[in-house]
Formats: sequence, C-alpha cells, structure tokens
Amino acid sequence: MVENSVDPVPVLLALVPALPLLGCLITILQGKLLGARAHLPAVVTIAASAVCSLALLAGTAAEVHGPDGGSEHPSRPVASVHTLWQWVHVDDAIHGVDAVSGVDADAPEDAATRPFAIDVVLRIDPLTATMLSVITCVGLLVAIFSIGYMHGDPGYPRFFALVSAFVFSMTMLVSASNYLIVYVFWEAVGACSYLLIGFWFRKPEAAAAAKKAFLVNRVGDFGLAVAVFLLWMTYGTLDFHDIVSADGTIISGILGQTRLTNADGIVGGTVGTAICLLLLLAACGKSAQAPLHVWLPNAMEGPTPASALIHAATMVTAGVYLVARSAPLFVACPDALVVVSLVGGITALIAGLIATVQNDLKKVLAYSTISQLGYMFVSLGTGTLLGFTAAIFHLVTHAFFKALLFMGAGSVMHSMGGVIDMRRFGGLRQLMPITASTFLIGSLALAGVPPFAGFFSKDEILASLHARAWPGGHGDHAEETHAGADPLSSETLATSAATTIVGDARAPFAMASMKANAADGHDASDHANDAAHDEHAEATTGSLNNPTTWKAIWWMALFTAGLTAFYTFRAVFMTFTGPLRVPEEAGHHAHESPPVMTYPLYILAAASAISGLWIFSTDALGSFLPATPSLWAPAVASTAVPHLFHWDIAMQGTLAAAIGIAIAAYGHYGRRSDEPQMERYLGSLGTVFANRFYFDELYVITVVRPLEMLSSIAAAFDSYVVDGLVDAIGHLPPSLAGVVRRLQSGLIQRYALAGVMGVLVIVASLVWSLKQ
Amino acid sequence: MSPPLAAVTAATVQGLIPEILLVLAAITIYLVGAFTSFRSGWLLAFIGVAIPLWLAAPESVDSLTAFGRWTTLAAGLALVMVQGGDVRPAAHRRLGTCEEAGTFLILLAGLSLVAVADNLVLLFVGLEMVSIPTYVLLGLTRTSARGQEAALKYFFLSLVASAIFLYGMVCLYGIGGDVSFAAIGAKLQSGDITTERMTLAMLPLAVGMLMVGAAFRMAAVPMQFYAPDVYEGTSTPLAGVLSTLPKLAGVVVLIRFIGLAAGATQPGAIAYAELFWQVAAVLAAVTMTIGNLMALVQNNLRRLLACSSIAHAGYLLVGITAAAAGADSISNAGSMRLSGTDATLYYLTTYLLATSGVFAAITYLGHRWPIWSPTTPRPPREEVSTVADLDGLASTNPVVAFALAVFLLSLAGVPPLPGFWGKLSLVTSLLEVDWGMPITIAGRRLWFLTLAITLVINAAIAAAYYLRLIAAMYFKPADRGVQADGGLSAGLAMLGCLVVAVMATLSPRMLAADSSQPSQPEPPSVIASLEIAHHD
Repeated sequence: MVENSVDPVPVLLALVPALPLLGCLITILQGKLLGARAHLPAVVTIAASAVCSLALLAGTAAEVHGPDGGSEHPSRPVASVHTLWQWVHVDDAIHGVDAVSGVDADAPEDAATRPFAIDVVLRIDPLTATMLSVITCVGLLVAIFSIGYMHGDPGYPRFFALVSAFVFSMTMLVSASNYLIVYVFWEAVGACSYLLIGFWFRKPEAAAAAKKAFLVNRVGDFGLAVAVFLLWMTYGTLDFHDIVSADGTIISGILGQTRLTNADGIVGGTVGTAICLLLLLAACGKSAQAPLHVWLPNAMEGPTPASALIHAATMVTAGVYLVARSAPLFVACPDALVVVSLVGGITALIAGLIATVQNDLKKVLAYSTISQLGYMFVSLGTGTLLGFTAAIFHLVTHAFFKALLFMGAGSVMHSMGGVIDMRRFGGLRQLMPITASTFLIGSLALAGVPPFAGFFSKDEILASLHARAWPGGHGDHAEETHAGADPLSSETLATSAATTIVGDARAPFAMASMKANAADGHDASDHANDAAHDEHAEATTGSLNNPTTWKAIWWMALFTAGLTAFYTFRAVFMTFTGPLRVPEEAGHHAHESPPVMTYPLYILAAASAISGLWIFSTDALGSFLPATPSLWAPAVASTAVPHLFHWDIAMQGTLAAAIGIAIAAYGHYGRRSDEPQMERYLGSLGTVFANRFYFDELYVITVVRPLEMLSSIAAAFDSYVVDGLVDAIGHLPPSLAGVVRRLQSGLIQRYALAGVMGVLVIVASLVWSLKQ
Repeated sequence: MSPPLAAVTAATVQGLIPEILLVLAAITIYLVGAFTSFRSGWLLAFIGVAIPLWLAAPESVDSLTAFGRWTTLAAGLALVMVQGGDVRPAAHRRLGTCEEAGTFLILLAGLSLVAVADNLVLLFVGLEMVSIPTYVLLGLTRTSARGQEAALKYFFLSLVASAIFLYGMVCLYGIGGDVSFAAIGAKLQSGDITTERMTLAMLPLAVGMLMVGAAFRMAAVPMQFYAPDVYEGTSTPLAGVLSTLPKLAGVVVLIRFIGLAAGATQPGAIAYAELFWQVAAVLAAVTMTIGNLMALVQNNLRRLLACSSIAHAGYLLVGITAAAAGADSISNAGSMRLSGTDATLYYLTTYLLATSGVFAAITYLGHRWPIWSPTTPRPPREEVSTVADLDGLASTNPVVAFALAVFLLSLAGVPPLPGFWGKLSLVTSLLEVDWGMPITIAGRRLWFLTLAITLVINAAIAAAYYLRLIAAMYFKPADRGVQADGGLSAGLAMLGCLVVAVMATLSPRMLAADSSQPSQPEPPSVIASLEIAHHD
C-alpha cells in the first residue's frame, strides 16, 4: 500500500502505539533506577505519541476536506491501511460461503475454504484519527497529573508503566484494521484496566474490585469472541479493509468499500442480528452498560488518574468505538439497533438514578460515566449518520469533561488525605479555588448547560433521537426514502438534502476502481443512492422497532438529562460550597494541589468549556467523520441530514438541566441540612437506588452462589479424585526413569552393543513387516 | 560412463562458494595461529562465517540444500560467538583457540556439504567432515580426564555409527546401482523392484542401517546413550555444538533419503517409504519417551540438556515419520497441506534457535562466585553446572534469566513461542497424512494418531523439567550468584537468539522454510559436474 518511502503517514501511525510501548518497556526495565523520575519515559513518549496523533488528525482532515479547504460533506471515504507484518497465515481455512465477493462461487468444492490470514495492519481514517487524538491527549494530561498525584507511592514506576501500556493497547485497539487484532487489544486494555484497578492490591477492596471488573468483562469478551467466529464464518475474512490478492482478485473486507457499496454486501437477518447483539454484549462489558455495568463503580478503587483515563475518558468508550466502527453491520439489522438504544437508554436512566443517592464523590462520577455512555449508545442505536457522529462527538467532549471531573475529584481526594465521602467535607472552594472552579466548569459541561461542551453534544444526541422518535419532524427525508424503486424520492434526496452522500454500488466503474486501489476511495456522489433501507418496511417487522419505543427512549434520555444536572450539582454543592469542613485525615495537608496537577485541570477546563461550541459551530466532526468508510457506507450516509441547531430540542434539554440544578440547589440550600440524605427524601425508592437496583445482589444469587456451590463440589472432586489420580500418574515417570537410568551404565561397549542390537532388531522387524 | 574426475568448472566453484569460503577461512586461521602470536581465532572464525552468510547462499539446488546451508551458517555464527566467549586477558587465554576455531569452520563446511551432496560418496565425505572435526574439538579439551573420556566415547561410538551408516549406503547403492541420488531415486521409482529378490532383501537392510546411522547424529534410540555422558564431560559450548549441528546433519540426511521416494507410484518406492516411516515412528516414540524420562531425574544441567536433546530427536522423528508416510503418491494426492518435511525442518529451526540460546546463556553465566575469605586459599573455580546453580538467577541476572526462560518455554512448546508452532506443525503434518480415511485397527492412521498422542504426553512430561529450571531461577532465593564471566560474545549470541525468538513469536512464519520449491530429486548441472568416478 505504501509506494512512496517518504510517506510520513505509516511512520506516524506506527509511532503512535510504538512510543508508549517503548516508554512502558523502559519504565519496566529501568523503573527502579529512575526512582522519582520514573514518570519521564511515560510522559515523554505519550507526549510524542500525542504529537504524532495530532499530525495524523491534521493530515486526515486535510485529505477529507480536499485542497480547497471547504467544510462541506466529504465526497469520498478517506482511509489508508498499512501492513506491518503478517501474524498468522493458515492455508485453506474453513469458512462460510461469501455471498458478496463471488470469489468462491465458481468452484463449489472450494467454496468453504480460504486462507485464514491475520495481518497486523494499522489504519488511519477520520474515526481512528479522532480516537487517537483523544486517547493520547487525555493520556498525556493524566500522566502529567499523576506526577503529582502518585508522588511518593511505592508503586510509582509500576503506575507509569501501566499507563504507557494502556495507551499502547488502546491506540492499537482503535487503529487496528482487523477484528481479531481488535480482540487482542480489547483484552490488552482489559488487562491494563485490571492491573490498574488492583494497583493497591494489598487493599482487599481493590483486589476484589479488580477481580470483579475482570470477570464481568469476560462475559463481554466472550461475546466479542463469538462475534469474531461468526464474522469469519459469515464473511470469510476478519479484515476491515479490502485486500487485493496476488492474482488480482479482491478479498473484500467486512468494512471494505467493495462490500459497503454493494447493497447486499452486509449480511442481515438472523446471523447479522446475532453478530450485532454479540458485539453489543462485548460493548456492554467494556463500556459498562446494563446489565454488565456493575464493575465500573467498584473500579474506582484504583488510583484516581487511572479512573480518569481508563474508566472515564478512553477505555470505556471502546464499546462505543466498536459499534461505531461496525456501523454498517448494525444498520443492516434494525432490530439490533433498537436494542442498542434501549440498552443505552435504560442504562442511562438507571445509572442516573443511582448517582443521585451516592455520597462518594468518585462513585457519583462513576455512575455518571455509565449514564453518559448510555447516552452514546442511545445515539448509536438510532442508526443514522447524525446518531453515529453525535455519539463520537459526545465521546470526545465527555472525555474532556469527565477526565477533568475525575482529576478534580482526585485533587480533592489528594488534599483530603484519601477521604472521598462528600458528607465529611464541604466548602472546599475556600481551600482549593482552582480545583473548585475547574470542577464547576466540568460540571456545567456534564450537566449540559449552554454553551459548555456537553450541551452541544447532548443536543446532537437528543436531535438524532428526536428524528427517530418523530420521523419527518426535522426534514429528515432520508428515512422516508424508498429503496431505489421510487425515483421521485431518490431525486428529492439528492436535491433537497444537499449534504447527503450517496453512492452506487452497481456502477461497473466503481468495481474497476476498487480493483485498481482497494484502499482508496472513489467518487460516486453523482449517482443516486439505491441502497437505502426501507425503514418503514423494517419497522413493521421488528416488534420493538416502532415509534413508541423510540418515544420512550426519548423521554428516558430527556429525564436523564435532568437527573445528570441534579446529581452533578448536588456533588458540587456538597463538596465546594457552604462552610469549610475538612476531615481529620487531611491533617494540615489540606491545600490546593501543586501546579503539576492544576495545569492539566486548566487545559481540560478550557477544552470542556469551548470544545463543544467550536466543534458544533464549525461542524468539525460532522464534516469529518462521515469520510470514515464505515460511516460513508451508503446505508449509513443516506441518513444524513443538514447540520442544524434545533432550538426546540435545545430548549427542552436546557430546561431539564435547569430543573435538575434548581432541585439540587433547593436540596442543599433550602433545607440547610448538614448531611443531606437523599434516600430519606426519596423513601423506599431511595433505598432501591442506594442499593443500585439490587444488581449486585441479583448477580450474587443467580451467578455467584451457584458457581460457588459448583466450584466447591469441583474442588472436592479435584482434591480427592483428580489429585489422587494425578499423584499416582506423577509418580510413574520418575519410577520409569529409574529403570531407564540403569541402562545408562557409562560403559562404551554396552552402548555400542545397544546400537548394533538396535540395527538387528530393526532390520529383522522390517523384513517381517515386508513379508506381510 | 562419466569421466573419472569431472573437470572443475567455474560453475562448480560458484556452486560451492559457501563451503569454499569456510575452508579457506579455516586454513587462514590455522596458518595465522601457527605462525603469528595472534590468538583471537574465533574473531576470524566469526568473519569467516559471517561473509558466506552475508553473501547469502548462491543459487541453491533445491530447498533442502538452501535450508541446510542457511541453517548451518546461522547456527554456526551463533555457536562461534558462544565458543569465542573467552575474553579473559591474554595471559589467561588458552592456547589453541586458533586450532579450535579453524576446526569448527571445517565442521561447518562439512555440514554444508551434507546439504549440498547429490550422491552417496559426497554425502559420506560431508558426514565425515562433520565427525572428524568433532573428535578433534572434543579431544582438544585435554586438560580434564572427563573431557578425554567424553572424547573417546564419542569417537568410538561415532565410528560404529559411521560404519553402520556406510553399510546402509552400500545397500542403497546395491538397490540403485549408482551412487547418485537421482539414479537411485529413478531406480526406486521405476517398475516393481520388489520382485527382484536381492533388492527385496536389501531394502530393509538399507533403511534400518541408514536410520540407525542417522540416529547417532540425532542422538536418537538406539544410539542415544553417549549423549548424557559426552555432554557432561565436555565444555558447555561444545555440548551446544553437539546438540545442534550433528542433529541438523542427521535430519537433512534422512529427508534427503526420504526424498528419493517422493511422489512414489511404484511398489518399490512405496515399500521403501513404508519401511522408513515404520522405523521412524517406533524410534520416535521410544526416543522421546526415554529422553524425557531420563531428563526428569537429572540434576546436572548438561546431562539434562542432553536428555532434552534426545527427546527432541524423538519429536523430529515424528516429522520424519510424516514425511516418509506422506511420500507416496496416494497420500500426496490427499489433502496434506503441510508436508512432514516442512514441519520437520521448521521444528528443527525452532529447536536450533532455542538450544543455541540455552547454551549461549549457560556459557555466558560462566562460573559461580567462590566462597572465599582472605585467610583461606582461593578455591577452584566452579562452573555453573547443576540445576541448583541457577537458583535465584532472576534476581541476580534478570536478563539472562528471562532469556533462558523464553528458550526453555519454547523447547517445552508453550504457546505462542516458536517451539509451540513447531510442535503444532509436527502433529498437524502427521495427522494430515491420509486425512479423510477412517481410523481402523490395522490402518496406519491409528499409528499416527497414537504417535501424536505420545508426542503430546511427552510434551507434558517435558514441561516438568523445563519448568523446574524456570522455578529455580524465579522462585528460589539466590545462593552465591554467578559471575557471568562467560564473555560478551556469548551474551550477545544469547540476546541475538532472544530477539529472533521474539520475532518468530510475533511472526511464526518467519522461520518456516520456503516450501514453494519442492525438494527435487534431479540435481541440476552445477552439482552434477562434481560427480566422482564410480562404476555402473
């Protein structure tokens, strides 16, 4: 793929993960030597990696917008793939029949085999570039913050080694161009998360939390594994991109342009839905969506910077990334899409309700993270281009303001001597003004107060959901389009929605250009799209997929917006306002954090304040992300709508936020209560919330207890039956060895005799064998 | 009838450039050592091996030749670095390093010749060019009685093995009526030679004796007894040489002989291949079991590695079984995706890599720190020689311990290290012979299945003693520690092997021999001109 040796893209792309890996290795090998400077390799390499990522982002953006620098919608997909090396190659592996490429159709006897080749391939496209920039930039700020936060910890080098390892794994996860490689790094980020949650492994809670996170994630990982198997059996490849093989035929990748421009390219139906639901299961595990969200609150046992980076800003968004990357698969399965939204909506609501009664500042933020991730899934589940871009938009702004909030909470915890229970401190704005003001900005962004970042991304999510719940409400013509058969509506689509990207898969020249360069795009925008799905026809088939469901999700989302504002400001009021109260653990250390911790707060506060407005007003993501092949796919792109500001939706969202803040203010100032106990006000409902909807208890009864019983039976069987057997067998080889050993006499004449006897025996038996 | 000695043409010289360069380097080293005070023979040897490796093998005749040459040079380079690890000041430097280095290069040239040989005579000359320098190298350790005993043991048993092997070749000559492999192959493949009574009698003799002769080189049953005694008696670098290079020779020779029956359609060639796999299968099962069982009870490192080397000979014979069983056209026409030959050569590569690494690491460790107080006389130097000497190595020499752990785990066949891929290919290639046919009581697939299961059980037994070494390094407290005085170049060889092992882990196909060119029984003209006079 790389003709020009001076092309910087592959080098930069490889450097982004390679540098943090180098930092990790240096820290592991020389951590003890570096001592208090052990942060240097991590900070320097992540900084360099961030520079590379931003350069890639700039380069990709320049390519998307073309030389004229216009910001109109991209006319062609922008992606390039770079093969590092081949990892696995198995000739003639068995897979299902590929309906699309037709490669195997001519030779029925070979229909079920194809080389199983897994290349280590990195890709760069708008989605990856965006993710890389967020990961490395937030990673850098968190690493700098940690210099102060982790100062003096005995595991100081280990922490930075793990952070570097995480940044390496996460950047590989989002830049890999193959589902199996994604799976590998999906596990790798899980392992880093496990190690960081259990960072203080001598604390029993931390060890238990790490184990819980790991085990719950296994359920999701199982889903991803089975999804990968199914993808292989269905598509006969695991690559995202198309590959031109040596003989010129194209092996179309799952998310390659050959397949995406083909109306029948993506397998829907039962298999497709199964794949999507399994991918969703994986995403639920990693992104802490109901019912697998239970691990994330416990994950707060880890160091706060790790929570900020992994359990708020980046790793937990891997599920969102996975669904967005697999957008064409989901769009082909409307039933799966509605499940995505439902899961997201229910999670957002439940987590928001639980957050209202938490008294631990980090737990509030953890449930808020779950809730906001739920928002992103709601948005993804709409299956429209706006929905996907809104989810990524929210991912970006959320990464900024949630990292800010977590690091603010870390700053509070740092100065409060490790106490994080909001009932035990208050009025801290007098003590730590910088933390208080930056935390306030983060809270405003999270609550969705205009013009802070969260407001704009949440507005886009609500807009995409609104369009789904009330089709036609916002000039959303694409959903009304009838596939190909209705020329009038196709024309309407092409003319009225000027920004719509359309493509024609059946045009012969398109296929030819694919063959010429599978990695490059082609311009087919002057062709009317006939690959759009008939939403109405599909809506009648799915039992869940009807406007009523979508309306329910809409109200859930809107209510959650109010809840978000409420619990956020409840936390702000409890922590920073009122008379100054400091727990005794803080001693005389209670002070503002050092500059190395506050500067990252400033930067993130600035990002939380203005990034939303900037991205929205320039339509930076809306004009950039659709060039990602997955989102450029006609099935997705046909749902594009003009970039608008929806006053009615914005008003509703803002109103919900205002009500939430008002109630929080009333709860705090109106009652003048020293220890506001939310559960008390809410009565029995509060008990339910405080017990986290009894999810943990449910798992204990349905999973943990039966497994414990089973394992005790197995343990008994193991120690009495298996061990006995194994011990018996284990004694066998050494006793046999005693016999063999005796042959080893050390006498050369016996050795020679053995050789000659060997010849005789062999020859005799061969003669006998030949006679048979 | 070919002329008594074909004229040496430019093509001949060109075809033998690696071997010629090696011999020239050896002669240079001998002369330098004899007439100057220069004592860094190994440095010259390094250059002498590096140049042919750098030039890359000239157009090789077939893939087996290319493999043999390339592997010889690569392993040779590593072993030169291991043996040349002596960087003590000049006053302490042993005499005779130039002699050792030169002799080692002759050994490499002989090994390379084994891979190149296209007829029985050249093959035997090559094998003797491996054996005789080995005697010399072993004998040069003349300061210790144990070393002398080891040298003598190796010498006498090697003579017996060579004699048996020679008889085998004579029988093959009797069958083929020619020393050229091409002619023997053609004869085997032509018509039904089993109807000739003489041939019928000679087939089992040839196969049995060739197998036993090769078994000595590979340290396989029934000629495996010498290995523990000799390895223990000689020095660590030489034990490394013994456990790698002769094994390479044995495998290449066997694959060359099996190649004679490749694609067999005639009863004669089929019977030949059948006999081969039957012997190989039985020897494989017995060899790996005996090797692993013996290794379990060893406490001396070199004895343990000798037993491990025997066990690996057994694994390699599994691949030989698959190669021979897959030689006939019936199974060839089947769905064999991975030929036994490829699997064997791949496994051999992973074995050579890990074994060279292990011996490099142990050489690098050198001696233990003495327990020595100013009042007592300095105790004799203690070489790192027992398993207990490795105790706590992870805390005193973490890099060496890590490298050793990687090599040992690879030898044990733990995924995803190269050794695992090797064992996987062996088992796969074996099970793919006659794939699709039912497994019946009398059928050969039952044999293969049994052999595959034996291999897996053996791998499990083997894990016990490899893990014992790793446990000693990582979980036991350090006693006195080691000096790590084995020399920089041995350490570098260890690191080189580690790097290659890690790369091969990430990209397992890197080590795979190029199977795209099948092993051709017909030799091209370059080597044909080397034919030595023979009678028809």
